[in-house]
Amino acid sequence: MAEYYGVDVADIFNTMKSRFRPEGAEGVDAVFGYDIGEEGKWKLTVRQGEMTLDEGGDLSGCDVLVKVDGRTFVGLNIGKIDAMAALGAAKLKVEGDFNLFAATGKLFTKYVPPGQEVEQEQELVVLKRTISVNQRFATGPVMGTFLKGLKEKKILAIKCPVCGRLQSPPREVCAPCRVRNDEWVEIGPSGEMRMLEYCYYASPDPLTGETRETPYGAIGILLDGCRKDEVFWHLLRPDQLDAVQMGIVMGDKVVHGSRLRPVWSENRTGSINDIRYFEIDQ
Amino acid sequence: MGYKNKNRHVGIVGIGETKFSSHREDVNQPEMIHEAVRQALDDAGLGIDDIDCVVHGNMELFEMVHQPDMWHTLGTGAYGKSAFRLTTGGTTGGTLVSGADNLVASGMYDVVMAVGFQKLQEGHTTGGITNMADPLWARKLQSGALTAQAAVKVIAEFGEERARRAAMTYRIIMDKHACKNPNAHRAFHLEWDQIDDLMAHSPPLIGDLRLIHMCSQSDGACAIIFAEEKKARKISEKPVWVRDHITVHREETLNLANNYYPIDTTHRFAAEKLYERNGIDNPLEYFDVFEMYDPSAWWGLDWLRDFFLLEGDAHIRMVENREIMIDGKMPINPSGGVISTNPIGATAMIRVAEAAKQIRGDAGEHQVPGNVEHGLASSFGGTMWTVLTMLEKETNW
Amino acid sequence: MQKDDFSNSYVVEGKLALPYTYFAGRLGSTFLTTLRDQARIMGVRCDKCGKVFLPPRQTCERCLEDIRDKWVALESTGVVVNFTVVRQQDKHLPRKTPYVLGMIKLDGADTPIVHIIEGVDPDKISEGMRVKAIFAPESEPSILLINHFEPAA
Ligand SMILES: [Zn+2]
Repeated sequence: MAEYYGVDVADIFNTMKSRFRPEGAEGVDAVFGYDIGEEGKWKLTVRQGEMTLDEGGDLSGCDVLVKVDGRTFVGLNIGKIDAMAALGAAKLKVEGDFNLFAATGKLFTKYVPPGQEVEQEQELVVLKRTISVNQRFATGPVMGTFLKGLKEKKILAIKCPVCGRLQSPPREVCAPCRVRNDEWVEIGPSGEMRMLEYCYYASPDPLTGETRETPYGAIGILLDGCRKDEVFWHLLRPDQLDAVQMGIVMGDKVVHGSRLRPVWSENRTGSINDIRYFEIDQ
Repeated sequence: MGYKNKNRHVGIVGIGETKFSSHREDVNQPEMIHEAVRQALDDAGLGIDDIDCVVHGNMELFEMVHQPDMWHTLGTGAYGKSAFRLTTGGTTGGTLVSGADNLVASGMYDVVMAVGFQKLQEGHTTGGITNMADPLWARKLQSGALTAQAAVKVIAEFGEERARRAAMTYRIIMDKHACKNPNAHRAFHLEWDQIDDLMAHSPPLIGDLRLIHMCSQSDGACAIIFAEEKKARKISEKPVWVRDHITVHREETLNLANNYYPIDTTHRFAAEKLYERNGIDNPLEYFDVFEMYDPSAWWGLDWLRDFFLLEGDAHIRMVENREIMIDGKMPINPSGGVISTNPIGATAMIRVAEAAKQIRGDAGEHQVPGNVEHGLASSFGGTMWTVLTMLEKETNW
Repeated sequence: MQKDDFSNSYVVEGKLALPYTYFAGRLGSTFLTTLRDQARIMGVRCDKCGKVFLPPRQTCERCLEDIRDKWVALESTGVVVNFTVVRQQDKHLPRKTPYVLGMIKLDGADTPIVHIIEGVDPDKISEGMRVKAIFAPESEPSILLINHFEPAA
């Protein structure tokens, strides 16, 4: 069996059942004969919203007889050839009830040769979703102690018994010393500003999915009582972004940053939001 | 450190890279991965039956798909084989190479294929990275992978004008390299006379980090096939040998103290250890090419000092004098690097793949002129983590 | 601090909310648009091992043959090869529980797909039951273009 436009005549008949539209067959009660020359003969029966297809056999007694060559038949079905043009060129002949033939267009969804969409401008399927998962985080005793301190307007750090390093927010261990931290120390609450991340890029707040207002400043603050890299990470009062100075230590070269103090929230629940931000300490 | 020499040599015998781009609506994940897998198999002249084990990885939370290694057997060919999934953030690609190298060197498998991928178009990169931070504190504060820390540091040490000009020079060199690499995602054809304009007008992201400095968000995959020495010599006419690799992680931390020099970074620590145990006295002399994981021009500029153990302004001068160009004294990222192309889970692996192509001498238009025998590739991820990989043309070390 | 003192431990409510996008690719799009526009279920056949895969895939996972062009039309009827009854309600689920999730091997396919089976008492479902696809062309392009399967006469 030959292929036309990359499609077998049989493909079109074999997919009729899956392309059949009962709503398009309403009121149609007829037998259609298809004589596709060398490709073969098919008989389509439509009755009470259902269809049956028989291959080969006698086509006498059909309500409509369609005579057409394989190439034209495929062309008609995939939209390459116009039916009226084919009739005009006598490539397509219809015997019997012509109105019934005209109704066949409604009986089926269009045949699209599978795989051929690739060469056309294909509709590429895109699904957009937002994953939204409720989470519950266990603070554990160490982070819990720190967060509870914030409720009482206290910033706590945990101290390494070996190197004396302060960590805030606290960790259970000092990783370089590989020991459990065992002592709580109150630090700040004021301190010296070091790093300023002056953020123009609006990233989403992952806790809400909402885009943050820009510009904003994420800062590293060396709170009073802390040394070296023991900085505290929080936000800067947004209207003071251009009024602050970063502190920098580079070998012997020391630049002191602006003095900052925390602005506490009225309702404190033991979270990072208990401090609204840090502001310049005049 | 509990480091021991390898049981046996391991050679890279096949390399595959997709074309990298921001738009791969035409393929789903396993289909995209398969492009790299097919290329690597063809490059090695192997069939999937010749592969003993598949190691697969990406950075999670970007595509919002879990256990992609299972779904991706359609593309990797891991069906019925030993398979592992590795995911270590930005360093994933380097970890995949380290893992595959270890699996072959150990004697467990003779031929291992590593596959790294990312389809960043499918997710939200900055949101994804931010969600990896500690949910009780850092999630509220972290701005994805965007930071001006390197810019603050270089400016504090060398002054605004010199620092900004050096960073933009680095950026333009990387773009010139990317223009030679047909796989590169972004190649803008920047010209030297655009430096002042870009320094002044490229949109700022954070502080002195501007859009032009920052890496792209890319889709793509990379596959590399590793084989033990005997098989490697049989499979490939020019296997590239994985001499050594080192991974340095540390406590989750960002440098927000502005407490700078001297500073012990994982990059410098890894480089010192790696060179020491391999007897490399002068890495600048020794290596013929370096593929660096440079997520921004500021980081790339700053990290030259760490990786080559330089002092003072030596790294700035390397860039100012354009010694890091493809035909310079120390070619850095002839591929265009990470600023041009960043499919995160594949990115660090592309560094190794590109360095290996340079050693084979078949990188194409972005081939470094002259004989390339010794290659270095770096990975970066997490909160300042490092994987460094050494590649060799011969096994005479 | 005592190692096992948990008086300061508590739970913080949180949320992870992130947008993402899924691209079906050319092959997946062909499958979905054919399902939507023609109510036709298409698989692909591997010429090497002879297997007909549903959902379609670009490569045969066993032979690693490129089979993206080897389309075959499948019947919309098939047989239940396995099933489970989902009884625990969750906001992410597509139906009110209890409902049946079945592995359905369509006539002409070698691999089963997972889908919802309706029109049968969850306690009466059985392996080997014949089912047919009920299409939902108005749905967004996903496997839910088949709304569900139900017992075939
Ligand atoms: Zn097969």
